[in-house]
Amino acid sequence: MTVTELPPFVRADGPDKVSGSGRYTADLTLTGMLHAAFRYPDVAHGRITRIDTSAAEAMPGVLAVMTDADVPDVHYTWAVADRTLFARDIVRFEGEVIAAVAAISPEIAKAAAAAIEVDIEPLPVVNDIEEALAEGAPLVHEDWASHTADDGIIRDGNLAIYSALQRGDADAAMASAATVVSSRYVADASHAAPIEPRAIVAQWEGEKVTIWTSTQVPYDARDGVCETLQLPASQVRIIVPHLGGGFGGKCGFHFEAHIAALARKAKRPVKLVFSRWEEFVAPDRRREGMIVELTTGLDADGRIVARKGWVGIDNGAYMADCAFFPQLAAMHVAGPYNIDHLSIDAKLAYTNHQPSGSVRAPTAPQGCWALESHTDELAAAAGLSPVEFRRRNLVDTGTTGPMGQTFDEIGALRVLEAAHAAAEGSGPLAENEALGLAVGWWPSFAVPAGAYAKMHGDGSVQLITGAQECGTGAVMTLRYLAAEELGIDVEKIQLVYQDTGAAPFGPGATGSQTLLNHGRAVETATRDIAEQLRELAAEQLEAAPGDIVLADGVASVAGTPTASIAIDELAGIAAGGNLLISSGTADVPEYPTLEGSHCVGDQGMAAWLAPQFSCHVAKVRVDRDTGVTRVLDVFAAHDNGTILNPIGAHGQVEGGILMGVGQALTEGTQYGDDGTQLNAGLLEYKLQTIADAPNIHTTFIEIPTANAGPKGSKGLAEAPNVATAAAIANGIAQVVGAHVTQLPMTAERVWDTANGTADQNGASA
Amino acid sequence: MSMQIATSLDEVLAALAAGARPIAGGTDLVVGHRQGKAPLPESLVAIDRVPELAEIADGDPLRIGATVTHARLMTDQVVVDRLTAIADAAALVGSPSTRNVGTLGGNVMNGSPAMDTGAPLVVLGAEAELASADGIRTVGLDDLWTGPGRTSATAGELCTALVIPARPASSGSAYVRLEYRRAMEIAVVGAAASVTLDGDAVASVRVALTAVAPTIIEIDGLEGLTGRAIDDDLLAAVAEAASEQASPISDLRASDRYRRHTIGVMARRAVDAAARRAAGESISVPVNRALGIGAAA
Ligand SMILES: Cc1cc2nc3c(=O)[nH]c(=O)nc-3n(C[C@H](O)[C@H](O)[C@H](O)COP(=O)(O)OP(=O)(O)OC[C@H]3O[C@@H](n4cnc5c(N)ncnc54)[C@H](O)[C@@H]3O)c2cc1C
Repeated sequence: MTVTELPPFVRADGPDKVSGSGRYTADLTLTGMLHAAFRYPDVAHGRITRIDTSAAEAMPGVLAVMTDADVPDVHYTWAVADRTLFARDIVRFEGEVIAAVAAISPEIAKAAAAAIEVDIEPLPVVNDIEEALAEGAPLVHEDWASHTADDGIIRDGNLAIYSALQRGDADAAMASAATVVSSRYVADASHAAPIEPRAIVAQWEGEKVTIWTSTQVPYDARDGVCETLQLPASQVRIIVPHLGGGFGGKCGFHFEAHIAALARKAKRPVKLVFSRWEEFVAPDRRREGMIVELTTGLDADGRIVARKGWVGIDNGAYMADCAFFPQLAAMHVAGPYNIDHLSIDAKLAYTNHQPSGSVRAPTAPQGCWALESHTDELAAAAGLSPVEFRRRNLVDTGTTGPMGQTFDEIGALRVLEAAHAAAEGSGPLAENEALGLAVGWWPSFAVPAGAYAKMHGDGSVQLITGAQECGTGAVMTLRYLAAEELGIDVEKIQLVYQDTGAAPFGPGATGSQTLLNHGRAVETATRDIAEQLRELAAEQLEAAPGDIVLADGVASVAGTPTASIAIDELAGIAAGGNLLISSGTADVPEYPTLEGSHCVGDQGMAAWLAPQFSCHVAKVRVDRDTGVTRVLDVFAAHDNGTILNPIGAHGQVEGGILMGVGQALTEGTQYGDDGTQLNAGLLEYKLQTIADAPNIHTTFIEIPTANAGPKGSKGLAEAPNVATAAAIANGIAQVVGAHVTQLPMTAERVWDTANGTADQNGASA
Repeated sequence: MSMQIATSLDEVLAALAAGARPIAGGTDLVVGHRQGKAPLPESLVAIDRVPELAEIADGDPLRIGATVTHARLMTDQVVVDRLTAIADAAALVGSPSTRNVGTLGGNVMNGSPAMDTGAPLVVLGAEAELASADGIRTVGLDDLWTGPGRTSATAGELCTALVIPARPASSGSAYVRLEYRRAMEIAVVGAAASVTLDGDAVASVRVALTAVAPTIIEIDGLEGLTGRAIDDDLLAAVAEAASEQASPISDLRASDRYRRHTIGVMARRAVDAAARRAAGESISVPVNRALGIGAAA
């Protein structure tokens, strides 16, 4: 069924980006502009005993050098304020900024950064999740009890956040189970790896600073600058030129304040452009490493009676936005299954790694990979096919989720059947090929957002939105929502976006929220203009406003199409009187309630608004002699509510799947014993290339969802990234006869699993 | 820093004599500089516009000019028909843009043990022609490569061509590489084979290995296979010899244990494909894609 109402369209920013005429932050040059370079420690953990910047400052061409001493004394970030702009006394990961330089060329800046003398006394490195949580582990933050933090956060050793999901009596139910299966899965950390390494340009005019930056979240970036440099919001303006991808890696506040502070000190505009190495090690947005242990009990019919679990998550050295990760990960390893007795502990551990943060569907690809691998093990133990096992256990409309949330109409079973049928119908399998199936889910995040709209005297429209384009194209759909409300041609609508100086607040490109939240705001704002047009038309046509229909550029009286006036003409009339301007903030949908469950360390993740369901079936071929796996096809079925732009929606699913293939097979960060990344670059951190792309076959199960985004839509940015690695895992396991217990499932790990030598591959968290 | 763009061999040799380093496609030299491996030399001479360095000549011997690009190697009819292993290798190098500028001479003279054209050249019996202001000499590849990134060529010497004896009848060659993805990959391990058949029996077989030793190495002791049929036993013997003679390291890409195993797999597959080609079967270039080797077809 297709309920799409908007016409399919090709995104408006495409030609600019493809032809090279689009301008990105790194393309900006301002008069007198300087170049920034950061100084990093050479170690992952150590005590700074001396910093001497005099040699750097004395270098010709250097205009400013800064350290912790040059900025306000502010600890920041979400949930636990454990962070300063520049390292203070202790460095806790290899990419921590100790000092910054502004100079007349990038080369001089780099040389000056290297000329800063820094003495660091190495401290023991916390390099692994279990090691971090062990009794007597060296502490990443000796003093973190002194930092301000949200209520309820227990400060215990390296345990940053603890959440638990409890429902029923898991121990008793487990004891009565006919079959019990236990598994342990370990996922390496990975990266967002957007094509554009981040860039920032800052320029002061008097008391005000304008910062052009490659961020996904302009308002978060602004708030970070305001907090750390202690500036009022009105003095900080964030503008985002074209953004070269983000995948979550450019969410959050990163280096905008460093560059603004440098520019203020140097009294010149300053530009920062990251190298690929910096893009890998410095931002606090790495996909978290994770350990998942699950024990599930089944009854004689293969129905889940109880699940117990433990999840360990690598937070890295500082709190970025991971506070909700333990609970979210717990939900992913509970999964979209009917489970009455559940007990899952999830712990976020400080380590001396780069901080983790929301990368596309945080915790989900790894959690789903672990859970769905475990689920195929359960199906085998129950003597059921993977699809039949899931039929018996999946949640669906009217059933109750693992934490007691009762679902309205959802497509969990329908996506299972659709993807399964598409894969089964795709022809016979060759030797060493298999179909692996996995289901996944993902919440929708509803928050406030605003939009302004104005119709000019010529009938053209400006939509001013806090939405941010990060590669998805979702922003472009806002124009179509507005065109439909106003009954005018979409070409008449221009967007003003990516500028905090112009637009009202919006969460930006994060958490699949562009349409869900900004879309509702745009609908509200343009609906207001439509009301004004109806009133104007009603006056002109001597009819009741309620009878005026806006369509095809014309306002007409319902039932009397001859009584009509062009909307452009109405706009001209308004231009001479009450202007057609409006603003909108949409009511935030109400979150579902929990029943009969108990959350420790609740971060609001145990009940999901407008949950999104997906099923991916991967057709894999494994070269048994080498373990090299190739994904030939992925059959994807998605319930993401109403699909507003089919072209964009298919692109999202395809991109998410390709990213999932990388996470499944080749993308994993390797750490040395010293806690530094060994493959921080695109030579050894292996992204998938277009030559590796499988054929992707996507079906949307469109269920207009109440209490969600415009026209019953849910988000679609993260959901496609949830189930792919899991589906591939289950395919590989069918070929080689056992599950690979480490992610990524590299050729060597697959080969070791096939040969029963997995214990020799230096398994490490 | 200075860079001269030469249009004749004499100009190049004069520049080298004056201390310049040659640059062909720059895909090793410039990328290595940007990665911080080695700074760019003070003085460079570009050799990519010297016509006589870019020729492929049929005959005995066959001659491939040093600046022939990988894109040409993988499609040139002489190379594809007779020196097929080189075409297999060239087709796997980097991405289309790497292949459009990267050259055979650059690959050989860069001296990486992971170079893809090296093992094919060895099994085809190639020699390097080196020219300098003082004259021309030809050296065997085992004398040329002295260690990772090192050659025995002097600073004044330019590699002008790779020279390869004409191929006997009933010969075939192939190069296969273990790869984790289908583009932008560096050989984890690779193997080239050249097989000449006498009826169903092996008249000669040569196998060389990529990325399992400080230089490309040729497997010793395959003479014993002469006269035998190409069958599972023979392929198993090749695999075993390759695994035994390799001295792989552990690094980010693979453990020594895994490399030692997979080099045997690659060697076996290379001999199998070369023998099939020798027997007249048409297997398209590159073998990796045609037969689903490494990251399967
Ligand atoms: C993205 C990417 C992917 C790659 N993938 C592969 C791959 O899959 N397989 C592979 O083998 N390589 C690969 N390479 C490495 C490189 O592309 C090849 O080695 C290529 O053949 C080098 O040729 P070039 O002409 O670019 O060499 P250059 O960089 O111009 O030169 C390399 C070295 O050889 C010297 N030199 C060049 N020509 C001569 C000559 N005629 N005589 C004497 N000295 C000379 C130069 O001075 C320099 O020291 C890759 C490189 C990149 C950037």
